[in-house]
Amino acid sequence: MEEKVLALKKKHRIAIAWAQDSNTISAIHKAVTKGFVEAIMIGKSSEIIKTCRAEGIDEKLFTLIEVEDENRASVEAVRLAKTGDADIVMKGLVGTDRFLKAVMDKENGLMASNATLSYVGAIEIPAYHKLLFITDPAVIPYPDLDQKISMAGYAIEMARKFGVEKPKIALIGASEKMGRHFENSADYAVMCKMAERGQIKECIMDGPLDLFLACDKKSIEIKGVETPVNGDADILLFPSLESCNPFYKGLMLFAKGELAGLIRGTIKPVIVMSRSESEKSKYFCVALSCLMA
Amino acid sequence: MVLKNLNDLRRIVEGGPRKKLVLAAAQDQHSLGAVIKAWKENIIDPILIGDKEGIQNICLENNYDITGLPIIHEPNTEMSVEKAVRMTSSRQADILMKGMIGSSTLLKCVLNKEWGLRTGNLLSHFALFEVETYHKVIAVTDVAMNIAPNLQEKIAILNNSVKCLNKLGYRMPKVAVLGAVEMVNENMEATLHAALLSKMNQRDQIKNCIIDGPLAFDNAISLESAKHKGIRSEVAGDTDLLLMPDIEVGNVLYKSLVFFAKAKVASIILGALVPIVLTSRSDSEQAKFDSILLAAAASK
Repeated sequence: MEEKVLALKKKHRIAIAWAQDSNTISAIHKAVTKGFVEAIMIGKSSEIIKTCRAEGIDEKLFTLIEVEDENRASVEAVRLAKTGDADIVMKGLVGTDRFLKAVMDKENGLMASNATLSYVGAIEIPAYHKLLFITDPAVIPYPDLDQKISMAGYAIEMARKFGVEKPKIALIGASEKMGRHFENSADYAVMCKMAERGQIKECIMDGPLDLFLACDKKSIEIKGVETPVNGDADILLFPSLESCNPFYKGLMLFAKGELAGLIRGTIKPVIVMSRSESEKSKYFCVALSCLMA
Repeated sequence: MVLKNLNDLRRIVEGGPRKKLVLAAAQDQHSLGAVIKAWKENIIDPILIGDKEGIQNICLENNYDITGLPIIHEPNTEMSVEKAVRMTSSRQADILMKGMIGSSTLLKCVLNKEWGLRTGNLLSHFALFEVETYHKVIAVTDVAMNIAPNLQEKIAILNNSVKCLNKLGYRMPKVAVLGAVEMVNENMEATLHAALLSKMNQRDQIKNCIIDGPLAFDNAISLESAKHKGIRSEVAGDTDLLLMPDIEVGNVLYKSLVFFAKAKVASIILGALVPIVLTSRSDSEQAKFDSILLAAAASK
């Protein structure tokens, strides 16, 4: 990912809301040093400077904007993106709810008109031969058909930015069979037909597929299922937040997975990461957002 | 094998043992005419049940020679239907046909729990058209029986029809699930059903056929039209079976084919123990004859 970002030869301006968080500052510092980012740190300047110094980072590398509280920090970050003074918005130590409220504000927020707000992650796992894109582990609890179609579109867009021209997208279920007890399988069948008819473009889609059939060629042979995804998925679309979220967390905990992710449906990239996320993950996110900007 | 016209059904019938057809309430001129013609042409062996005098009078008036034809005298029409159905369920007959009686009376007997012809399957109507402007016969379902089938019912209707086509020699019939457009549209339920049926077919949950849909009528029967729209489909332009979204579309299509396109049609009811010939009183004698031919071909 880093290579691709450096190849852009463009500096992106990131506005960070309530920035006095050491992991965030370290990640941003790395991106600034690599030369693909300019950072605008919004928050209590004294706190930001203190955190920088504790990490041995020169605060003069960043533009600082003084605000009193986290709400104002979020609003200011969003305002900078809206006016074009920033290309990317990033959540610092603010709570996700408060931050997203500013992003989603009807008048002053960053929502694209009629867009579905969703989340796409790119996950690197040593056990898989390529980057895997997943959606949605963070925003939509139980996506309906329209939301699933939007999610697929965002994931396809991201995979294509990574050079996967026609990503293979697996619509994940517990089995490859259509069943009355699996409501999502009906949505999946409809989406597959839409892809076949060109109503969803630039992808090879199949589902329902279980995770084995989506990502493991051996399972395809054993089960004898004919599927164009063929155990070689680029994208996994999950039926719910509660299935996607534990999937990526499981990979991070037990399979040395690294995740970068972005909110989609906004006019500018928005980085939302949990405060506990590592510096490395945050750095990946910053790089990803530059790629998508 | 593909049927080019309805007459091709004879080849199937000629290959097997002669089928027994029982005509309930046989005192009906059109039905009798068709049955006797099919008998003379060695397509079936008929058994007539009904008012003996009435049957004989019709035969006299129309010069039908019925020497040697078994007639079971039963003047009460409802009883004649019951007898015909009982005969069929006890395997003394292979095909049931409706004579001078309403369809609902006959179907009530067919669905009788003790001595009817239930199999646990949904009953559905299956029609086979010979149209000059199409390169082979085309089957259409369901244009007369199920009003607004839901997804499960559509699966049952498809299974009935595919089984019948398999019997007629189609190893993998091509099925088009009809819609107003070939695109999926959330506001058109037929297109959603079509997508689901296609996927179930891909996953081998509906077997022995190739399903694609939604297809608009033109894409289903014209390859040129499908190409024009850029549809990649094994079915488009070469459809063997059209699945209708509901009875209103089906019935209008059926009648347009007959009246405007001068199509020949044969039709039977599927899903019971045996094929049922249940043509309406307004159907031509030819249509009744062809339906008997279809029933004989489908009853092996």
